[in-house]
Amino acid sequence: MALTPECVAELERILGPGALVLTVEGRMVYECDMHTFYKGAPDAVALPVRTEQVQAIVKVCREARVPIVPRGSGTGLIGGAMAPQGGVMVSMNRMGAILEVDLPNRCATVQPGLINLWLSNAVRERGWFFAPDPSSQMVSSIGGNVSTNAGGPHCLKYGITTNHVLGLEIVTGTGDLVQIGGKTVDRPGYDLTGVAVGSEGTFGLVTAITVRLTHLPEAVKTVLAAFRTVVAASETVSAIIASGMVPAALEMLDEAIIAAINAGTGAGYPEGAGAVLLIELDGPRAEVEAQADRAAVMCRERGALSVSVARDEAERALLWKGRKEAAGAVGRLTAAYLLQDAVVPRSKLPQIMREMVAIGERYGLRIANVFHAGDGNLHPMICYDDRNPDELQRATEANEALLRACITLGGTVTGEHGNGLDKCKNLPLQYGEADLNFMYRLRRVFDPDHLMNPGKLLPSHPACGEGFRPRRPVLPAGTWV
Amino acid sequence: MGVSVTARGLGGALAAIVGPAGVHDAPAARAAAAIDGREPQWVVRPRSLDETAAVVALAHDERLAVVPRGSGAALTLGVPPERVDVVLDLAGLDAILEHNPEDMTVTVQAGVTAGALAARLAADRQTLPIDPAGWHARTLGGIAATAASGPLRLRYGTLRDLLLGVRFVQADGVVTWGGARVVKSVSGYDVPKLLVGSLGTLAVIGELTLRLHPLPEAEVTCFLPVASVEVAQELTAAIVDSTLQPRRVELLDGAALVASGLPVGPGGLVVSFGSVPAAVRAQQAIVTGLAARAGARAETLGPGFWATYDRMLARMGGTILRISTPASRLAMTLREARSVLAGGRDLVATACAPLGLIRVAIGQGDPAALATGIERLRASLAAADGSVVVERGAVGLRTSVDPWGPVPAPALALMRGLKQEFDPAGTLNPGRFVGGI
Repeated sequence: MALTPECVAELERILGPGALVLTVEGRMVYECDMHTFYKGAPDAVALPVRTEQVQAIVKVCREARVPIVPRGSGTGLIGGAMAPQGGVMVSMNRMGAILEVDLPNRCATVQPGLINLWLSNAVRERGWFFAPDPSSQMVSSIGGNVSTNAGGPHCLKYGITTNHVLGLEIVTGTGDLVQIGGKTVDRPGYDLTGVAVGSEGTFGLVTAITVRLTHLPEAVKTVLAAFRTVVAASETVSAIIASGMVPAALEMLDEAIIAAINAGTGAGYPEGAGAVLLIELDGPRAEVEAQADRAAVMCRERGALSVSVARDEAERALLWKGRKEAAGAVGRLTAAYLLQDAVVPRSKLPQIMREMVAIGERYGLRIANVFHAGDGNLHPMICYDDRNPDELQRATEANEALLRACITLGGTVTGEHGNGLDKCKNLPLQYGEADLNFMYRLRRVFDPDHLMNPGKLLPSHPACGEGFRPRRPVLPAGTWV
Repeated sequence: MGVSVTARGLGGALAAIVGPAGVHDAPAARAAAAIDGREPQWVVRPRSLDETAAVVALAHDERLAVVPRGSGAALTLGVPPERVDVVLDLAGLDAILEHNPEDMTVTVQAGVTAGALAARLAADRQTLPIDPAGWHARTLGGIAATAASGPLRLRYGTLRDLLLGVRFVQADGVVTWGGARVVKSVSGYDVPKLLVGSLGTLAVIGELTLRLHPLPEAEVTCFLPVASVEVAQELTAAIVDSTLQPRRVELLDGAALVASGLPVGPGGLVVSFGSVPAAVRAQQAIVTGLAARAGARAETLGPGFWATYDRMLARMGGTILRISTPASRLAMTLREARSVLAGGRDLVATACAPLGLIRVAIGQGDPAALATGIERLRASLAAADGSVVVERGAVGLRTSVDPWGPVPAPALALMRGLKQEFDPAGTLNPGRFVGGI
């Protein structure tokens, strides 16, 4: 339903002056997230400062049957924080406070608009940090991280967002304010927090988050090794994991990315390198020293062209520089690219990398790769010329072929970015009708009227609709009653 | 005698699904499978996931109540049932389907025991670090359904953090998959989380894909005797607020020390570190220093301690309570628990101290007084967000006091909504979960 003048007036009354964006130019800012391919401006953008306002907004929208779309910093990569069906966008930027830091109980409670890194900054001097570290952590909000169940380079060891969320305050699609989870563990009942994390605003609007804080490690050591081929680097990754280490991060850059980085500021990667492996270990000093030495030896044994071990924080930053600039450096290769976020079992890395080269050749496109090798999470960037519609078509097809290859190898269509508009259509590659139907019904419990971020996360598929009945087991013939 | 005719007929249908050898309805078998004294009409033991699904579908259509059972170690968790028609014995689903050592993942059927899995993984020096009391004999489906945990959760989390994917049977028999087979996935909703701790009330877990960890190269266990639980809490806080990365930090009260064969005293912490040998030694030195500052003289325990501790926990008799409190209130909660619960009975308490998770075993005594004590403790923990769950206790106790305790109304409404959506007919473990779910 469209936003009526009565609705607008009601929203203005709830929010007060200067907190409802209605102008075309103002709304345009909110028409997409970082996946700029998907555009849809909301009819209004609400900028609440209090939970009661959020709840009141949901009530107004429910009565008027107007869609509600949450937004944090808008740095998502999936077409999530945008409004394909219009409606009211609820931007959480003004709800960015740290409500409580409780170090004796290793947790903090924050508002959803708080920038990820700011929480770590607030507790680092006392020896603590918030472990989930998406590459966007300088700008992305914790509410957004919770919504997409964001990962990051260091989730190999520390886990993704859900492993660090203890509780949520959420206004569900029914307009109810619900506290789920909290500071204490093992609360009786279903793990509502667990299913709500990663629900991308389809269950409701999160208004407060209690997170686990992690103590800073005693030592961090970073090793960077260049290899001639991605296969040699992938085999080294397997060897490192098989030796019983769980590095904090295991990142890989492929030839195309290396070339792009070297063409820019330059990270000093050796000529002829077809893959760069970044290994970060953290923990007790003695463990880190021993494991870094061992990892360096493994790299050399597998023919590394060069191996550097950072001796201090400055050198460590230098080794990470190339990795952190990777996405930007792709700009030197191409005007536009499709970013993928698929996962394969780690042992299938050499196979998928070969497959990727073949797919690139088949569609005549360059595919650059920077990825979390430790957990098999690929981020291929499929480069295309956006002035050429044919190339976009080929890029889309290559993207699909790549996803299919990952699923065939036992993987998943998204490892850490989320589903949004972009990935939802790919879920049937991975899930059967009964599985999709289960998820559809799960959503219905939290949002019976289907007003919360509609069109996202689940595909438009018969199994995601009313009246669908998945196949049941065949029962023995005959009567027995 | 219409009832018995019906029963015989349904028994035949069950036998048509799982084979005659898989259906037990003899009096002795039914008595042995009784849940809180309530005998099922049949104990049904499927041999495959498909058979499991067909049994559930049949039960659903015939309005039978199904209680899934793994090893049977946790059957007293929950409200005593009012209806039990079928005990669904999943111990026959005992295949380890796929172990990928390089990917550090494993897929098992729900009836595989944690001990059998550990034996299989040891050759690759890998582990599923989940160790609830008596874990060796417990099934992974059961551990998942009850969200059971042990000392290692401090470092590795619970099955919630390690369950990547799950194949399950919905209440109407539809076989469904949730999650992924890889260590990292956010596609769709995180369905596995919904099933961990759901006590079989939403679905029957059939297969689990799990994330594994490497076994540490070396491990050392230190005993830190303390003068009081307050000192234990302070020492725990010092360990938590340090760069130490312990695998376990368990608090034992005086009675638990005795039961575990440790030196007699008011209490102690048992801490373990796993890493490369040099790092284990270094951490041991640091914790010894922290202990000395708290007036405790650290002592190294042998590698067998954790098996002894596990046996001690698994053999604890009487009533078992799980008390959750903020770590900062651990000592206070322990003292309060003793004062309101013991009432002259034996009481043994242990805790995963950094998480504020306490296990209390209470000897035989007046159930009415114990019920009152539990309610008093709940009331006092309410402000701190704490909870008291009766994990094991006499039927009388669990009918006079809600074994789960209260769940706030808005959250409970959502939980009831989930049950209504996924099991409207009340086929799966009806009435045994929170709020009568």
